[in-house]
Amino acid sequence: MASSLFFYFLAVVTTVGAIAVVAFPSPLYSVLALILTFLGLAGLYLSLHAQFVAIVQVIIYASAIMMLFLFVVMLINLGREEKRELRLPGQKLLGAIAGLAVFSVLLKIFLSTSLMTGKRGSFPPERVSELGNTQIIGNLLLTDYVLPFQAMGVLLFVGIVGAVVLARRRSR
Amino acid sequence: MAPLEHYLILSAVLFSLGVVGVVVRRNAIVVILCIELMMNGANLAFVAYGRYLDSMAGQMIVFFVMAVAAAEAAIGLAIVVLIYRNRESTDLDEINLLKL
Repeated sequence: MASSLFFYFLAVVTTVGAIAVVAFPSPLYSVLALILTFLGLAGLYLSLHAQFVAIVQVIIYASAIMMLFLFVVMLINLGREEKRELRLPGQKLLGAIAGLAVFSVLLKIFLSTSLMTGKRGSFPPERVSELGNTQIIGNLLLTDYVLPFQAMGVLLFVGIVGAVVLARRRSR
Repeated sequence: MAPLEHYLILSAVLFSLGVVGVVVRRNAIVVILCIELMMNGANLAFVAYGRYLDSMAGQMIVFFVMAVAAAEAAIGLAIVVLIYRNRESTDLDEINLLKL
């Protein structure tokens, strides 16, 4: 019961944060609202017994990536989005329709029971709590998932080089 | 523990709000924020399914998605800074040089 209440509290926090991201006119407030959403999601991961993912969510997502966003918002000093007409007439309505369409499709997929009949994995909760969540992930990263892990390193390296090359001031 | 369906509905809500933001907002930074929101909706579904199917694959995928999101944010924001330097604005309606 208590963990169920915990879920609903965090679900409300996360949803309110997500709505605020879309609704706030100022990008700065959107970034701060997204941090709230990410912290709520970290709590949800904890309630799903995914401790490592929860901590990574706080350290990498809510801190590092969001700080990057805050830096850029501060750096280019954006004010509120100007109150002029959107270029496309009825864009807000179209956005709501697109959101509802995606939501109904996702709901249809998620609530069809066929997805839950798949083969069960080899990590039931008792085994995870016995071995330790982080330890299992560390082992898997260097055994079964070693190729994606290496590819991730290459991707981040390309990302760093690309960001530096793009944002560098060209001297002529 | 809350049933799996509730986690999945929350994940669908986050993803759809991200879609609405991408369509409705004009500021490039907010659009990138909404893409992050969509990725997190997907992440929540992965972790929830992994938990209820006794699998670690969901959490592993989330780890990789976070790396992709970090790279995407770095490159995306570099492009936004570049556009701002050239156009003094990050309004997506004004970036239409390639439009016919």
